[in-house]
Formats: sequence, structure tokens, C-alpha cells
Amino acid sequence: MNTSSKDIILLAHAALGVTGSMGALWVFVEALSATSENARRIQTAALVAAVCMAAAWICGGYWYVHFYPADKALILKGPWPFAHNLFMETKEHLFFITGILAFLLPIATREKLYANPAARTLVLSVAGLIVVTGLAVEGAGAVIDHGVKVALQHDAPKGARP
Amino acid sequence: MNTAIRSGSPVLAPATSGFVLSAAITVVFNTALAWAKDANPALNDFMRRIGGHHWTTHGVVDLLVFAGLGILFTKTRAAEKIAPGRLTTVLIGAVAIAGLGLVLWYVFV
Repeated sequence: MNTSSKDIILLAHAALGVTGSMGALWVFVEALSATSENARRIQTAALVAAVCMAAAWICGGYWYVHFYPADKALILKGPWPFAHNLFMETKEHLFFITGILAFLLPIATREKLYANPAARTLVLSVAGLIVVTGLAVEGAGAVIDHGVKVALQHDAPKGARP
Repeated sequence: MNTAIRSGSPVLAPATSGFVLSAAITVVFNTALAWAKDANPALNDFMRRIGGHHWTTHGVVDLLVFAGLGILFTKTRAAEKIAPGRLTTVLIGAVAIAGLGLVLWYVFV
């Protein structure tokens, strides 16, 4: 197996992003039936979401700055230039929104959700927004990855194509 | 006081309401900065020179705006004047507008 640090950083970025989104989903599900008993669990899940998103931000940022330019050049020469022009351009800025929401979640879950319906609605909304934007960012990542793949297939000699 | 029932209606802690308002402003600011960078190569280049890459600077600026406004709104209790339900609506609306604003910009511009 030939795995470079570039591959590990990219896969860690995606895995941490999904884990952060799942942490937010965990908060959402727990908050639906918030009681004093699961308050601690909700706060833990919110912290998991925030820490994972912060780590995904660092890994993704490092990969984007150091390794993405080569992939970008490939994508733009290939048959799917929109994988960069639309999906990467949107993803790299939409991720900031997901990150900010993830950092807000541990603050919002300090409220007594079981006694405060307004706080519970807020936490459900923030967690739901993290899940939706987080999965959108993950999906965009898959399109970008495929943009590289089709560019390489496009350039490959005909006999080498699957 | 983390959470309280004031005058019969639930309220949020100053830090919660402050950082929710801050998040709403930051996500809209994030989209506006993305538009500005894309439309103005000089700004893009300026941000690249500050942080080594425009994206790095953009992220740091977003975090500073979020933290700075959050602390400011918490200390001044400015966001407490907004009802919690309205604050949640403002945040959802801000995320929807900011997200859609990014997609539409890169589709059409």
C-alpha cells in the first residue's frame, strides 16, 4: 500500500467533517427529547461536533493550500471544470458557515434545554443547519474528487480507459 | 444566570444570544467577503499577502469577527433585546441567504 501524507490529510479532512456532522445529528436527536438526564450528553456531543469541525478545518485548509493547486489545474483542463468553478468555490466558503455554526453549538447547549423551549428550538436549528451544510460540503467534495478522476481518464490513452 | 424565565417568557443567556447574533452576522459577512474577493483581484491579492493564501486569511477574519462580535454582544447585552424565537429565525435566514448567495454567485458570475 502506497499512502502519502497528502492522502491521509485529505481522508482525515473528510472523515472529521462527517464525524462533526454526525455529532451535530446526535445533538439534534438528543435535543428532541431534552431532559436533565441527557443534558450532559448533549453538551458532549456538541463539543465533539465543534472539535471535529475545527480539526476538519485545519486538515482541509492545509490540504487546500498545499496540495489542491495541482488538482485544480487538472480539473480545469478536464471535462468537468465546474467541479472547481462551482463546487470547490462554493465548498471552500460554505465550510466557514458550517464551522461557525459548529463553534456556536457548545455555547447554545449550555442552556437548560429541558426547561427552555426557545433554547431547545435554537439548538435544534443550529444542529440541523450543521447537518445540512456539512453534508452539502461533503457532497461537493465527492464532485471535486470525481472532477479529478474524469480529467485523468480524459487524458489517459484510449486503451488505458476502463 | 444561564437560563431564566423572565416575565413569563423564556430568555437566553447573554453569551448565547450574543454569539447567535454574531454567528448570523458572520455568515453573511463571510459570503459578502467571498463576493468581494472574487470581484476584486486586488483584495484577493492583499488577503493572500497577509495570510499566505486568501482562504487562510478569510477563515481567520471570519473567526475574529465571530469571536469579536460575540464578546461585544455578550458584554453589552445588545442581542438580549431580540426575542429568542426571532434570533433563531434571523440565524436560519442568515444561513439560507449566505449559502444561497454563495451558490448563485458561482453559478452566474
